[in-house]
Amino acid sequence: MYFQDRQIAHMDLDSFFVSVERLIDSRLNNRPILIGGTSSRGVVASCSYEARAFGIHSAMPMKMAKQLCPEAIVLKGNSGTYSKYSQLVTDVVRESAPVFEKTSIDEFYIDFTGMDRFFGTFKYAKELRSKIIKETGLPISFGLSTNKTVSKVATGEAKPNNEIEVSKGNERPFLAPLSVQKIPMVGEKTYQKLCDLGVKRIHTVQEMPVDVMERVLGKSGRGIWEKANGIDTSLVIPFQERKSISTERTFDKDTIDVHRLKGIITAMTENLAFQLRRGDKLTACVSVKIRYSDFDTHSLQQNIPYTSADHILLPKIQELFDKLYNKRLLVRLIGVKFSHLVGGGYQINLFEDNEKNIQLYQAMDKMRIRYGDRAVLRASGMDAKTIGRSNPFNGDPPPLLANRRI
Amino acid sequence: MRFIVSSGSLLKQLNMAGTLISSNSAMPILENFLFTLLPGKLVITSSDSESTLTTTIAVESEVEGEACVPAKILMDILKTFPEQPLTFDFGGDDNQLEISSDYGRYQIGYFGVNEYPRLPEIEDSSVSKMPSGVLATAIQKTLFASGNDDLRPVMSGVFFQLNKEGATFVSTDAHKLVRYRRVDISTAESAEFIMPKKPLTILKGILSTAEDEVQLHYNQKNCRFEFKHIVLTARLIDGRYPNYDAVIPKENPNKLTIDREAFLHSVKRVSLFANKTTHQIRLKIAGSEVQTIAEDLDFSNKAHERIQCDYDGSDMEIGFNSRFLVEMLSNLESEHVLLELSAPNRAGLLSPIDGKEIGEEVLMLVMPVMINS
Repeated sequence: MYFQDRQIAHMDLDSFFVSVERLIDSRLNNRPILIGGTSSRGVVASCSYEARAFGIHSAMPMKMAKQLCPEAIVLKGNSGTYSKYSQLVTDVVRESAPVFEKTSIDEFYIDFTGMDRFFGTFKYAKELRSKIIKETGLPISFGLSTNKTVSKVATGEAKPNNEIEVSKGNERPFLAPLSVQKIPMVGEKTYQKLCDLGVKRIHTVQEMPVDVMERVLGKSGRGIWEKANGIDTSLVIPFQERKSISTERTFDKDTIDVHRLKGIITAMTENLAFQLRRGDKLTACVSVKIRYSDFDTHSLQQNIPYTSADHILLPKIQELFDKLYNKRLLVRLIGVKFSHLVGGGYQINLFEDNEKNIQLYQAMDKMRIRYGDRAVLRASGMDAKTIGRSNPFNGDPPPLLANRRI
Repeated sequence: MRFIVSSGSLLKQLNMAGTLISSNSAMPILENFLFTLLPGKLVITSSDSESTLTTTIAVESEVEGEACVPAKILMDILKTFPEQPLTFDFGGDDNQLEISSDYGRYQIGYFGVNEYPRLPEIEDSSVSKMPSGVLATAIQKTLFASGNDDLRPVMSGVFFQLNKEGATFVSTDAHKLVRYRRVDISTAESAEFIMPKKPLTILKGILSTAEDEVQLHYNQKNCRFEFKHIVLTARLIDGRYPNYDAVIPKENPNKLTIDREAFLHSVKRVSLFANKTTHQIRLKIAGSEVQTIAEDLDFSNKAHERIQCDYDGSDMEIGFNSRFLVEMLSNLESEHVLLELSAPNRAGLLSPIDGKEIGEEVLMLVMPVMINS
């Protein structure tokens, strides 16, 4: 089996959050909608095509979006509802797809390789798309080609509510006329760099020798060159084990209140430790991240013996925070991350643990599982009401951040 | 200074002493053997600055003298010789040692002895005696359970408790613990000290199982083991050993008796399917049956076995690091073992049922892992 003989589809729900809101409330149809943070710091997480006509795009500050289109309807959004609808779509995909990978709340890669001789892959993917639209009422687009990158680009071209097939051998001509910005690895900075070189179209990249790309962009240069040439050998991976779990929080107003910051990281650590225990996981690396008001971002991490116990993690995180936060500057964002995760239970220590502690954890976890994550908390972390508390080990991809690129 | 020695018996002594010599020592002089020649015998000393070993071997000599001989090259050349007499001649002033064998002559540069650290004298020492076989067993039973954590140095050794009632040897890494007790060895003056791992590993290798007597001389800082022609001196680990007695649960209502080998093999097999980092398995005990269960979600591996046992207690499910169980079960020799349990979050106690020597008492303790039931 050669890589170029594969058949991989990329499916992406069109302006997913907006579509869900419209399903719930049809009055929103045909009107400019903005979904995202409503505070002064908020950014647009999703916007309708009507809003895009005003030049609005996701990740744009909400303030700016409102200036561009004052008549837009602004919604806060509800991640629980979106996850539910995403699950509905996943269920439909699972029924028909041999192998699929869910990369975010509204995106799937499906490997149809080998099905061509029985069904006709494009026809089969089309049928799947109509089935999703019929069963969930949500518009979806797809691109079909021989690899993930080209399919993803094709989906972007197909949107909204359409489909594109890029057949084998046509990858390069398909990509050639597009802007280099469309290559999945190219972000703002790389784009700028390429523009400075006079490279605007993918065609130009295709014509360049690969070592020139490497010289200009470093290691990622080769990856970008390969993608521009429609070369991508990555596989469709059905389930990805979480390698790390984290929470972070941006403040509405930058703060210097150390007491409050410590309360928040306590609440974050407490919750992440509970998630570890619920998911039967242990962590061996903890880190703390701080972003100051000038966007200067620092993080500090430390390796520790495998654990999931509050009384080891909390002091460790506090210690890292104390080491990291020594500038007395306004803080914009704070976050906690556990990585190097493995499956297993906490190894009880003969001398440092006592039965009471262990029983306390077990009792608290039981209450949280039954009555919700906030059923029992340390008083010092009680003020942190708005940190993310979702279960990271239910097989879903990490919750998508509002500032992702589409 | 000159002597004649049998190549085989010299190599044997050097191999033993050489275990203390590392090739990148902080003190380069310790990469040498210290040879102390006396009429009719040669004393060989090696040291890693914490522990020092001396061994004595019979040689043909008439004079006295001292020299530091590079360890590696000396051992390497000796390994190549079949049994034969060798002549060592330390010659004149050029610090050249000349070795003559049946095949030819070899010259090695040697060093003066001024830099070589001298053995600390053990002042105000107490003395205790025990058969070398007993000490060897005590080390072999306890050493594996000691820790490796640099932050807790006391746990990296074996705790010796000597008193009138007996001799107790304890080791733990905070997750497992072994207590080996001999009630047939009594010491008039009570003493407690922590012996580091390395000299014990060496002792384990050289102590014979025979009934040779070992003499222990110790004070607050050092301990010296003397037996036959060998003397091993070690600096003790400074610190207070954790109160291990307090953490051994006294009430253990659930008692499981099981064939040791059957249990060991089951744990070994099942643990192949456990997570490769945490090695965790579960024991599900009900009726007269133990189920050993392992699972690795990352690779969708699963194993499940059942073994017959005698069980007196309530049904229970408990998680353990399978490595600890394997280490402990393989360290015992008995046909059957007793596993005493109280609750899934409290220690399990493992002890042999049969095959014990008179006066011997073995207790092993293993802490469980928290599991979601």
